[in-house]
Amino acid sequence: MPEQKGKLRKKELTINMGPQHPATHGVLRLELDIDGETVVKCTPHVGYLHRGTEKLGENRTYLAALPLTDRLDYISSMANNVGYCLAVERLFGIEAPERAKFIRTMASEMARISSHLLWLGTHALDIGAMTVFLYAFKEREWILDLFEMLTGARLTVTYPRIGGVRNDVSEEFLSSLYKFTDEFPKNIEEYETLIDQNRIWLQRTKNIGIITAEEAVNWGLTGPMLRGSGVDYDLRKYCPYDAYDKVDFDVPLGKNGDTYDRYRCRMEEMRQSARIIRQCIEKLPEGPVMTPDAPKFTLPPKERILKDMEAMIQHFVLVIKGPVTAPDGEIYSAIEAPKGELGFYFISNGTGKPYRMRLRSPSFIHASVLPLLCEGALVADVIANIGTIDIVLGECDR
Amino acid sequence: MGLRKIINKVLMLEILKGMALTFKALFRRPVTRQYPKYKREPFGGFRGLHALTRRPDGDATCVGCGLCAAICPSKCIKVRTTTGPDHKKIVKQYEVEVLRCLYCGLCVEACPYKAVVLTDIYEYSGFTREEFLMTKDKLLANWDRFAESRKKSYFARFWRPLLSDFKGSAEQAALKDLSKAQRHKDIYIEAGR
Repeated sequence: MPEQKGKLRKKELTINMGPQHPATHGVLRLELDIDGETVVKCTPHVGYLHRGTEKLGENRTYLAALPLTDRLDYISSMANNVGYCLAVERLFGIEAPERAKFIRTMASEMARISSHLLWLGTHALDIGAMTVFLYAFKEREWILDLFEMLTGARLTVTYPRIGGVRNDVSEEFLSSLYKFTDEFPKNIEEYETLIDQNRIWLQRTKNIGIITAEEAVNWGLTGPMLRGSGVDYDLRKYCPYDAYDKVDFDVPLGKNGDTYDRYRCRMEEMRQSARIIRQCIEKLPEGPVMTPDAPKFTLPPKERILKDMEAMIQHFVLVIKGPVTAPDGEIYSAIEAPKGELGFYFISNGTGKPYRMRLRSPSFIHASVLPLLCEGALVADVIANIGTIDIVLGECDR
Repeated sequence: MGLRKIINKVLMLEILKGMALTFKALFRRPVTRQYPKYKREPFGGFRGLHALTRRPDGDATCVGCGLCAAICPSKCIKVRTTTGPDHKKIVKQYEVEVLRCLYCGLCVEACPYKAVVLTDIYEYSGFTREEFLMTKDKLLANWDRFAESRKKSYFARFWRPLLSDFKGSAEQAALKDLSKAQRHKDIYIEAGR
């Protein structure tokens, strides 16, 4: 609102927040028009981390494109891997064995805990509570160690495979994970002691960034962003994949749809995740971890390659050309990733590579809701809002 | 506002609670490792620096089929072969551009001979890009370095179907025999360092 008053002109100040800003969690750029301390207009600019994952996926075989999905939401790469493998399995019409399903469920819940811990730490750090950051990273380190024990890598796991998982779990891993689920709820209580009732935390989060249930649905929000507004929608419950229909868990819901409710939602989700992991370990069935029924789509066991001509031919074809017997058609398959609904859309034309790979990433959709949250709010709350939508730009820009 | 809330507000009880927790944490055992002094052993199956295994006679196990190069998502493996005097395939060149590698381990999974492996060596740094272009000799040297320091069997962890995957079935018994042979092969890789 440019205003003439004598010789002094008054107008909004346009500032760029990011792409190199410690609170934007990556390379998000916000163009803010501010009037004093109030944000008048907020325009998010994305694309600084664009690597062309979708296009790369079209040029890799189904198996070789799997490591690309690690780099989408690099905090919870396991969930992306599971989503990718699940989509391809549904496209091929194969199914992972029971044991692999339980292992995947367990691993994706580990990813959820790891992702939410990082969110909690950085969100609290942005708002001004440093201790939580240090405490949360202690447990995250444990989870990452467990990932290393399971997969051989801490962050970019590349663990699930089309038709199962790469290797079986060890007793050492299971006992360590079980111990983790024992101790983790106590740790959550610690974080809550630090910030749950803290007056600064309450002032910075309560009634900040309110999204009503209707708005949340209209904007296409998913995950804790939607559940914080009180909409009961969780893919793990409503179209269960892997072993989610065999474990018992609750879906925490918020009420007001403000930053504090979303914080409560995520904290509760971590508790539920620990509960799911616990049940998965207790119910873990015996059996193979790679489906034996789909030799056309899964690499044969290494023992057989040099003994069995069929297996050798299959191995060479699968590695060099990909699963060339893949059926034609298209599929959309989604999972409940820690950030929200992560969808994979494939068009297959019967070659070893997808004709089109499209990702529905929750971070991109959540980044688009920033103007709604920020406009009319204070500049300081922009930080809280970026924290609460919990975006990862690797997934947003793909 | 109830009396309790007022007392909470005036005495800052919730902040005191938090302070008490941080004070307690002072007496806990530190979780930080002083890295260069103390090093955590990587877990079995860690995906680190590449290596080429050796046959018992000391040569590289690699036969030059090029499957690792075919499956590599970042196309960082280069294999060139020629034909030797007795019509045998000779691996002339085997290069891994380590700086472009994703460490996904798909090359290890694709290799039928267990020739290329990812070792648990994770400390390697250099000043030039050339140092990270792993030629065949460098990769064999990596294997020697890894084999010397190795305590656990590498393949037991990395391999896709562990023996326990097939408990009880008939196919299982057949595979078990096969894997006995496999175990011999593992030992022979070990012996061939």
